[in-house]
Amino acid sequence: MSALSLLTLILLILMLLVGGKHGLSSFISVVLNFGILFLTVILIAGGFPPLGVSLFAGICILAITIYMGNSDETATNTAFLATIIVMLVMLVIIIPLDQIAQVQGFGNEQSEEIEAFNLLIGIKFESLLIATTVLSTLGAIAEAAIAVASGLEELIAQQNSITLSQLYKSGRTIGFQIMGMTFNTLFFGMFGGDLALFVLLYKLNATFGYYLNSKIFVGECLAVLFSALAVILVIWITIYLTGRKLNIKRS
Amino acid sequence: MLKFNLNSWQIKKEVVLLNLVKVIVKEVITIKKRLVIEIVLIILSGLCLYFVTTHNESWYRQDIGRIVSLKDGRRQMVKDEYNNRDYQTKQNLKIKLLNGKYQGKKIKLTNTYSASRAFDQKLHLGQEIFVNLHHENGQLVAAFAYSKRDTLLLMLIWIILVLLYLTMRFKGLRTVTSVTANFIIFLLFVKLDVNLNLTYFFWLFAASALIFTALSLILIMGFNRQCLVTFSSIVIGTSLGLAIGYLALWLTDNRGVHYEALDMATQSPEQLFFAATLIGLLGAVMDAATDIVVTLFELKESKPDISRRQLFLSGRQVGRAILGPLINVLFLIFFAETFAMAVLYLRTGNTFAYTFNWTMSLGVVQSLISGIGISLVIPTASLLSAYVLGGKTDVSA
Repeated sequence: MSALSLLTLILLILMLLVGGKHGLSSFISVVLNFGILFLTVILIAGGFPPLGVSLFAGICILAITIYMGNSDETATNTAFLATIIVMLVMLVIIIPLDQIAQVQGFGNEQSEEIEAFNLLIGIKFESLLIATTVLSTLGAIAEAAIAVASGLEELIAQQNSITLSQLYKSGRTIGFQIMGMTFNTLFFGMFGGDLALFVLLYKLNATFGYYLNSKIFVGECLAVLFSALAVILVIWITIYLTGRKLNIKRS
Repeated sequence: MLKFNLNSWQIKKEVVLLNLVKVIVKEVITIKKRLVIEIVLIILSGLCLYFVTTHNESWYRQDIGRIVSLKDGRRQMVKDEYNNRDYQTKQNLKIKLLNGKYQGKKIKLTNTYSASRAFDQKLHLGQEIFVNLHHENGQLVAAFAYSKRDTLLLMLIWIILVLLYLTMRFKGLRTVTSVTANFIIFLLFVKLDVNLNLTYFFWLFAASALIFTALSLILIMGFNRQCLVTFSSIVIGTSLGLAIGYLALWLTDNRGVHYEALDMATQSPEQLFFAATLIGLLGAVMDAATDIVVTLFELKESKPDISRRQLFLSGRQVGRAILGPLINVLFLIFFAETFAMAVLYLRTGNTFAYTFNWTMSLGVVQSLISGIGISLVIPTASLLSAYVLGGKTDVSA
């Protein structure tokens, strides 16, 4: 038995024990997301445009993550719409900024890993970078959108006569609590994976100036910053969408 | 504040009314004034930052040049043995040095970029670049090193801080304090790791994980009983998760896992991988544990006679809802990071299986171990809270 299958089996058993039926559907959603991402890589490597493929994959991932993890229909619909809007907005923001930043592809620190390869492979690494940046934030924005949407729906169910400004105010309070936690998750998730990079940079006696300008460090920071931006946006948009829906329902 | 006296109201209606209007107008003006001042300050700080970061060449020891003229050569098609077509273009450019010994001097240099741009850059007129200067046959020669990116990085940080301030005032800025503090500690531990050069350096990062967790939790919930319960459940759950992961890998002899494929590893890759996994899952685990503990403490307060069993079950209920989303968050982060390398492998004639094994499998193992950790923290946090909060007796702190 390979290590991967044993670990997968353990995870499945644990998720079943902890979450029951819900745990099973969560497990399936992770497996489906894995399949979609693997297919995305294969399609991009096969020459399909990275942005188009990722946009399509992104919508699928959002649908799976949001609809398979939750049963509350109204909250999930709002969350899904909000995340799709944010994904599109992020594309508009990331495309020009990544062009200016020039952080695509590989950094000098990775030269050992790629020296055996011919790098002229005819795939636009700029588009690939945009695709990966957007895809890596989807989990975080889906989580934040669901938390805000279901929190607000619960509030509306409890106080039927809640005014719009009260709703926005509570939305900000809920959003604030979620934001801190999500920043933490993103920060540790992204920088934790870069442990090897940080050790290497320190060993190379990198100067402060080098940190602020090097391809790989700036690239990793931009990824974290873009996802933070996406989380802020998704909280705003989810609150706004919930309020608008309430308004339409009342009038 | 608007204040007026009922007596004077009856005596001189007009005067009071006039005063009232005056006060209101004044209020509106002061509010507007504050808003205007705020906006002006924000815009000014942004402009300052932009100006400083575009004129800070003298702060750098490495030479920086601005591209003053640029000419693209002919595009040449390149084809490799896998039939990948790419195009290479040579750029002839002239830069004006902006700092150092040769400030003001103009030098010519060349740069080659490809259409795919995996390891090269297309340079633009007016762009500032770092260069390496050296002498060749008595002549000063420059070679392109890397682009100047500090303006963009700092401006983006500024935009996010402004957005946080605009939405939630200073409370919003507080959300980044824990991240900033953790980042500084993280860098300190990296420094410690390199300087100490321990054989079993995993334990150093395990200690850093304890500090990260304690610091973040104290900043989020303050130092109290809830914080202690959350901290213990995170430590127990995460250690158990990592131990199970390690055991599973040991039992299967790491079959199919190539630690040596870990990017940029300069120390034992296996330990580095486990340290990275531990730090990577901390945020998600904290999210799950705080959610459960805070909910259960609130539940106990509103229903003091709730039983331990019920508390445990409610904790599991909360955990159930966040289990899937949290695992997905980490999975997407870990997997998307491997894209560039995977595409490179696939385009150069490697099979799917080989590509997966050498580029993605570590990310997947990392996600699986994180998933196991998150799954274990949920019952741990529920059990501990239920135990601490006790049965029918009221033990509110």
